Amino acid sequence: MKHLVLILALCCAPLPALAHKVIAGVFKSGDAIEGEIGFSNGDMASETEVIVTGPNGAELGRVVTDTDGFFVYTPNSAIAHTFSADLGAGHVAQVTMSTENVAQILGEAASETLKSSPDVKVQATGSVASLSHEEQQVIAKAVRDELRPLRREIAAYRERNDLQTILGGIGYIVGLFGLGFYMAARRKLAA
Amino acid sequence: MHIVDGALSNPVVIGGAVAAASGIALGLRSLDIDRLPTAGVLSASFFVASLIHVPIGPSSIHLILNGMAGLLLGWAAFPALFVGLLLQAVFFGFGGLTVLGINTVNIALPAVVASVLFGRLIARGTPLQGAIWGGVGGAFAIAATTGMVAVSLALSGDEFLPAAKLVFFTHIPVMAIEAVLTGFAVLLARKVKPELFVKGVTT
Repeated sequence: MKHLVLILALCCAPLPALAHKVIAGVFKSGDAIEGEIGFSNGDMASETEVIVTGPNGAELGRVVTDTDGFFVYTPNSAIAHTFSADLGAGHVAQVTMSTENVAQILGEAASETLKSSPDVKVQATGSVASLSHEEQQVIAKAVRDELRPLRREIAAYRERNDLQTILGGIGYIVGLFGLGFYMAARRKLAA
Repeated sequence: MHIVDGALSNPVVIGGAVAAASGIALGLRSLDIDRLPTAGVLSASFFVASLIHVPIGPSSIHLILNGMAGLLLGWAAFPALFVGLLLQAVFFGFGGLTVLGINTVNIALPAVVASVLFGRLIARGTPLQGAIWGGVGGAFAIAATTGMVAVSLALSGDEFLPAAKLVFFTHIPVMAIEAVLTGFAVLLARKVKPELFVKGVTT
């Protein structure tokens, strides 16, 4: 019996938690789209294949998330990108980045390459205030890394159910069944 | 337990909605004024139960309580659980509005089956015997629900066996907890309000 319980417990252990809600988000990250997929209880979807599709459903590419549920996708064209991932057992994550945001990313990427040459020129003249393209990239990456836990916390916060929501739901139930009572009573009186 | 929007194919979603509508209609017909409060309380418990997370090992699970709803309400479990699911979808984003029908069927149909199978056994014999059958009924409802979830996923193209195994094994702790909970609820109800079950069986 003990062994059976142990075996069953071990069977359960590696399975992902069947949390209720899948959360997925995409953000601009320099010249790429960075995204995150996971469950609302904090478990991230690691090594999950994400399928990228355009607005007409055509597949644009596939990426695989890392152990933290993050993925990075570099867009090629300024159209809406839809990212979808199947987490199994009825959990599907789907999130779309709008055309404007993708265009912004592509615009940034284009301007960065243009900017890099004047940057070098400024450096050559000995200005200390300006930053090279590489330095800008490093700072941008550092800021992104710093913001990541915050972003995750905000996502978790948004999923939180507070007492008001619960009480509101119970209030609806009470009201609905009160209505049921009213109808049942009227039927009884009429009969 | 809650299947989300977009996970199922259209025929499954539509079929689920039709089945749920007929189940709710049947349930509303059997719901008389005396059982309305029971239905309301169970609907509210179902609604809140999903928020109580029981951490088990690396994951956490939540109670469903559909077995108890079925044993107490019979067909009336359909409208009661539907209301709970609707509010969960609207307030917490569990499941979704398009899959509401299939989710209702997946959770309420096992509840009704549990009441048909175990309802008489619970009303008979000593309260303790009734409580044991109540526990069996509670666990059965969860097991049947995992089966229904796996079937609806399989009908939408997922492989049946892996999906069924995944849902079933993660819910073994839920089955155990609900069996104990339903058992004790039946024990208490048989002692203090025995007509709750006897009536539920006859109507």
